[in-house]
Amino acid sequence: MTADVKVRKPDPSSPAMRTGDAPVRMYGVSKSYLPGTWALQDVSLEVSRGEFVFLTGASGAGKTTLLKLLFAAERPDEGQILVLGRNIARLGGGGVPALRRRVGVVFQDFKLLTRRTVEENVGVALDVVGCPRRETRSRVFNALRQVGLHDRRKHLPLALSGGEQQRVAVARALVGEPEILLADEPTGNLDSELSTGIIELMMAAADRGTAVIVATHDRSLLVRSGRRILHLENGGIVEPPEDSGAGP
Amino acid sequence: MTGIVLRSAWRGLQGAGFMGGVAVVTIAIALFMLGAFALVVVNMEGLLDDFGRELEVTAYLEDGIDEVEAEDLARRVETVEGVEFVRHTGKDEALARFRAMAGGAALLEGLEGNPLPASLGIFLRSEHRTPEGLAILQAALDGLPGIDELAHGQEWVDGYARLAALLRVVGYALGAVLSLATLLIVANTIRLGIYARRDEIDILEWVGASRFFVRAPFLVEGSVQGVLGGCVAAALLALAFGLLVPELRYGLAFFLGNAAPRFFDAGELVRLIGGGASLGLGGAGLALLGGKS
Repeated sequence: MTADVKVRKPDPSSPAMRTGDAPVRMYGVSKSYLPGTWALQDVSLEVSRGEFVFLTGASGAGKTTLLKLLFAAERPDEGQILVLGRNIARLGGGGVPALRRRVGVVFQDFKLLTRRTVEENVGVALDVVGCPRRETRSRVFNALRQVGLHDRRKHLPLALSGGEQQRVAVARALVGEPEILLADEPTGNLDSELSTGIIELMMAAADRGTAVIVATHDRSLLVRSGRRILHLENGGIVEPPEDSGAGP
Repeated sequence: MTGIVLRSAWRGLQGAGFMGGVAVVTIAIALFMLGAFALVVVNMEGLLDDFGRELEVTAYLEDGIDEVEAEDLARRVETVEGVEFVRHTGKDEALARFRAMAGGAALLEGLEGNPLPASLGIFLRSEHRTPEGLAILQAALDGLPGIDELAHGQEWVDGYARLAALLRVVGYALGAVLSLATLLIVANTIRLGIYARRDEIDILEWVGASRFFVRAPFLVEGSVQGVLGGCVAAALLALAFGLLVPELRYGLAFFLGNAAPRFFDAGELVRLIGGGASLGLGGAGLALLGGKS
């Protein structure tokens, strides 16, 4: 991993580039947890295939809520959310798992299974779709090699550093070749070099055609990347601040 | 997918620790109580069967029926529904028995000839020792020539049937109450286990696990814990039976007479352990009913 963020064009031949519509579309979406208080208000956005987008904003601005809405962990109170062409508000019991298998998610606190090895943690994303064991092993090895942890695949997560655990979480999110990748403060606990490495992995996924949305308040990443920035303030999307390093 | 579910269940069992032990012990205690009661019931039913085997319906034959006709009649009665076997007692044999019972010849000194009739002792199969079984026999014998009168312990049969039925009803009621209580306790124990692994379940759901994928390992775990509980209960019952029966032999003889107390046979033990599996599976199912996923 290097400190520079590479920018490449999306690969149209990738499996994640099968349809022409933007995989993430939100129209007038609002979400409230308490009456009279909006976590998100009238948010509209689209993220295309192969696009890498930063989601910024202060704590409590609504970044996590927006991401949760996109993988159906929450339902909108108002508006319409179309993820991979599916209306989140209308997803039935079986529709949610089916959607989540096409969406990779990386959490700030990693969310790893502490009693399972690194390779089992990554493999769980393939287990849930009934992937054959031999294929799972091969794909997990490749995913771990991508994040530089293939030689630590038999370790338990708690035997790894924070940066390594986050790379395991990224490998788990990417091993199923998701069409959308969502990351909530994936570099929050990491130093600058490790942060850059994690972001590079995600940008590589975007280059393969995955729509990537990364929530962060790490300005150094924003400045270097030159990618689109969606800035949340008081539950709504506003123009990013001048010094945010927002791309064209 | 089945292999993954079983591996996941195995991991769950390995990591269940204290809560898993609580579930196994709870099921074992409940099955021990149910099993102990069932042992009492099967032994008492055995005793009732012994009593029932001694129940005899006597058909007195008309005078003038000779030995050959009586034997022929006995064979015909044996074909009646519910009849296990028939024993023919001739007039001479009946008188000899009466003399033996009377204990001396003085009472019979003035007797001329043999006033006692020949008879057929009719023994019914256990399932026909009921008022309905007797009614069937009565109807069948009514049409047979040569039979003069039918005598049987109707009241005893009624009492026998009532006691057996009562014992079974009490057994079913106690079984139902204990099973329900165990089911609820096991469900709560397994639910605590589910809460303890909530993070794991959340992670599985976030990576797209189906309801089946998340729930099936818990159902397998519940069943395995139930089987283990059943095995523990069976072992404890065998131990208690081996230790207590010799100590209580005089008291048991009062209730069971000459019948030797018996333990469960292989089939009954399989049913006990199967009951444990059902309790574990049912408890896990109940625990998952209220689950978020």
